[in-house]
Amino acid sequence: MRVANAIAPMNRQRMRRFIATLASSCLAGFVLVAFAVSADAYGKDKSLSKAPLPWKLNPYPSTYRPLPRQDTLIINATILDGAGHRFDKASVLLRDGKVVEIGSGAIVRPDGAKIIDAKGRWVTPGIIDVHSHDGDFSAPYTSLDAQNSDVSESTEPNAANVWAEHSINVQDPSFEHALAGGITTLQILPGSSDLFGGRTVVLKNVPANTVQAMKFPDAPYGLKMACGENPKYAFGGKGVFPSSRMGSVAGEREAWIEAAEYRQKWLDYESGKRGKLPDRDLKLDTLAGVLDGDIRVHWHCYRADDMATLFDTAKEAGFHITAFHHAVEAYKIPALFVSNHTCAVVWSDWWGYKMEALDGIRANAAFLDAQGVCVAMHSDSPWLGQRLNLEAAKAMAAGNRAGLHLTAAHAIEWVTLNSAKILGLDAKIGSLEPGKNADLVIWSGDPFSVYSRADQVYIDGALVFDRTDASHQPRSDFEVGEPSMAAPAGKHDDGP
Amino acid sequence: MTARKRMQRRCWRGAVAALLLLVAGAIHAETLAIVHARAWPMTANTGAQGYIDNATIVIRDGHYESVVAGAAAPTGARIIDARGRIVTPGLMNANTHLGLVEVSSLEETRDYSVTDGPLGAAFDVQYGLNPNSILLPNVLADGLTRAVTSPGGAADAAFLGIGAVLRIVPGGDILDRAKAAMYASIGGNVSRHGGGSRSAQWQLLRNALDEAKRYNPVQGVGVPRDQLQNRLNIVALHAMLATHMPLVMQVSRESDVRQSVSLADDYHLRLIILGGAEAWRCADLLAAHHVSVVIDPEANLPWTFDELGSRADSAAILQRAGVTIAFNVSGNTIYLSHNAGVAVREAAGIAVANGLPWPAALQALTLNPARMFGIADHYGSMARGLDADLVIWNGDPLEPTSAPDLVLVKGRPASLVTRQTLLRDRYAPKARSNPWPAAYH
Repeated sequence: MRVANAIAPMNRQRMRRFIATLASSCLAGFVLVAFAVSADAYGKDKSLSKAPLPWKLNPYPSTYRPLPRQDTLIINATILDGAGHRFDKASVLLRDGKVVEIGSGAIVRPDGAKIIDAKGRWVTPGIIDVHSHDGDFSAPYTSLDAQNSDVSESTEPNAANVWAEHSINVQDPSFEHALAGGITTLQILPGSSDLFGGRTVVLKNVPANTVQAMKFPDAPYGLKMACGENPKYAFGGKGVFPSSRMGSVAGEREAWIEAAEYRQKWLDYESGKRGKLPDRDLKLDTLAGVLDGDIRVHWHCYRADDMATLFDTAKEAGFHITAFHHAVEAYKIPALFVSNHTCAVVWSDWWGYKMEALDGIRANAAFLDAQGVCVAMHSDSPWLGQRLNLEAAKAMAAGNRAGLHLTAAHAIEWVTLNSAKILGLDAKIGSLEPGKNADLVIWSGDPFSVYSRADQVYIDGALVFDRTDASHQPRSDFEVGEPSMAAPAGKHDDGP
Repeated sequence: MTARKRMQRRCWRGAVAALLLLVAGAIHAETLAIVHARAWPMTANTGAQGYIDNATIVIRDGHYESVVAGAAAPTGARIIDARGRIVTPGLMNANTHLGLVEVSSLEETRDYSVTDGPLGAAFDVQYGLNPNSILLPNVLADGLTRAVTSPGGAADAAFLGIGAVLRIVPGGDILDRAKAAMYASIGGNVSRHGGGSRSAQWQLLRNALDEAKRYNPVQGVGVPRDQLQNRLNIVALHAMLATHMPLVMQVSRESDVRQSVSLADDYHLRLIILGGAEAWRCADLLAAHHVSVVIDPEANLPWTFDELGSRADSAAILQRAGVTIAFNVSGNTIYLSHNAGVAVREAAGIAVANGLPWPAALQALTLNPARMFGIADHYGSMARGLDADLVIWNGDPLEPTSAPDLVLVKGRPASLVTRQTLLRDRYAPKARSNPWPAAYH
């Protein structure tokens, strides 16, 4: 572990770095920058007691602050807690942005807490979309985007150096539509043209003027990867490597070999085995972060045989695949998902739009779940990303039509707790358990019905959306000044 | 359709009918009674509530005979007990590419558009239909028995080509009505066809219709001609004007919706708006001009500059204003075709969640599109004599979690087995105990 290695030789390292600065004038500027970064990164630790492994740094820290909030007691609700339980005529108490108490018994209303009678209504944890392009594939989709979209770098197959957060348009109206659908947390990914698509970012779905102000504090980073048809056509079509599936795997293996060498150089430098400060490489930073277990791998992949190959590729390179996304054929290889502790992130019913999606079945999620695989539903679409609750509902219904006996209390985990686990945030969000963030949705009815709407949405205890109150319905700057959206009652219409 | 072609068609149909009568006469002559149904017949005699409880639906020779509360089944009829479940006509999606696509990304399986060559308005999808498409069993198992299949693009300005209505009978004669409508598209995303301006698009579209009006079918010419519409396209447009074929204008922006209405007035066209993200802004105008709209209730984002006014309650606003609506889901090729059944039901449910009355949503999935696309003489309600296409649902058909328990196509139970259910059963958890690879299952 880096920290254990780093503590003892600190003074020696500091000295070495200083010597290196003097000795090598051509590196001086770089080293001074490195110094500055490390001083900034470790802030209060003026002694620079820890050397900066570059992939441990976060140059774009979250500046998120919860919105104004009030302690709130919700009573008389049907609650799916996201951890497998259903409580009827139940209450949940939110205090200081946390869930403090939940259950069917009476909860004493603390002084000053607002009380909400949710009779006939349902409560779930805030819905988490682990695969969104809101902000990096944003509305309106313009002719500029058609030429060069911000979602994929697409100029070379290894774009591990790019970070999705640097593409995000915080004024994308898709965010507020997702919020109206109860989505409180989103992972925004780069697209799937590249083998290594770049870093993902986890956002709280709160309106803000900077992406940093939306970033989920201390959320682990992810690396988007892609297999199969997309990279093969994105590059092979231009006569650029890779043009085949086998080329894609070769490209990945070579990159991991390089990343392992890079990581070792830095570890050696840090432990004092190596005197010279290694060169920085943004791509290899991210890959080394994966090898260190700091950055989670989210792999766009469809076919069972492709995914089986990549399980072995990951083993060879020495990293863990957090989740395969899309995974339309995951139902063919559930045992591999279980043995590799990898989750499947899927749609309820997408299929047939390309060859590798031809074998999609609607019972995919339910079959995987029944065989012990961690499953989550995702959107990959700003429209679908407004109703992940229905994705879980449809996937559950398909499983039950195939003979399973799934309940909503369980299937809601596919868009709450399992999603949080995939993001490495299940200690904070994903279920309504005491101590966790007060992210929740009050639904007008059963969240597995098409007719139910998110009435109120809370993030960290703050009421961030209220369907019944226009002052709690955020609108992006893009929509300001557009023609009135008032319904046309009484509008004078004398022809075109 | 030429007279000769129509004759051939009639002969062929006659031959098939005769054969069916000979081979399967016993089955076809059957009388069927569905009892204890909550029937939604989509006819005028159901009062305000729109449905008939404890209904007995009598079907003879593949056609509806009666829908009456509490009636006794005719003697000798085969009886199906609906046990109180909802029974509706088979549903209709008002815009898909069904029969014209198998795998969207593969051009060799994609026949809904032409990118080159002489076919503009003349491009007619009826000749490329594939009754063996694996998409058809899928949408049938989701309760769809009719669908409009439309052209996605033609090689000539504005015009997309000519669409058809399908009956969903996998492996059978799926062409219900050829030349059901002409399609054209105008807006920001297609402005390149008009030299960069939507004004030019409208001018060229009007000019093409002017040329078509001047076209003399006997001499085969029309002069003077600016736009040089070729013979194929001018014949197609001339036929549209002559036969009162509907023109489907795929437009989004309010100005283009209004221009479409103006065009329809000037050329005496039967106009259908497809998409119509901002059609709600001129709902009263559309109602006054009897213009109907095929709408996607899921399209609520300002996704392009033409769609800045998109909203989730468009369907409700249009319906309140008296506009006839039908549904499709345009979001991507999956919703448009592969999941055209479940997606359009979910979309209708979303329209209801946003203020559309439930019976109006069901009407937009049955009777309305039947009327818009000219097949109401045999489909769209349970009126006496119409095709007995119906669905017994395991729940509310507008909930995407519901599914048909039984689908009748012309009075005969349809298979609900699809490639997806076969794959599902092959890989079901309980099949895991089989030591042989799935390929042997």
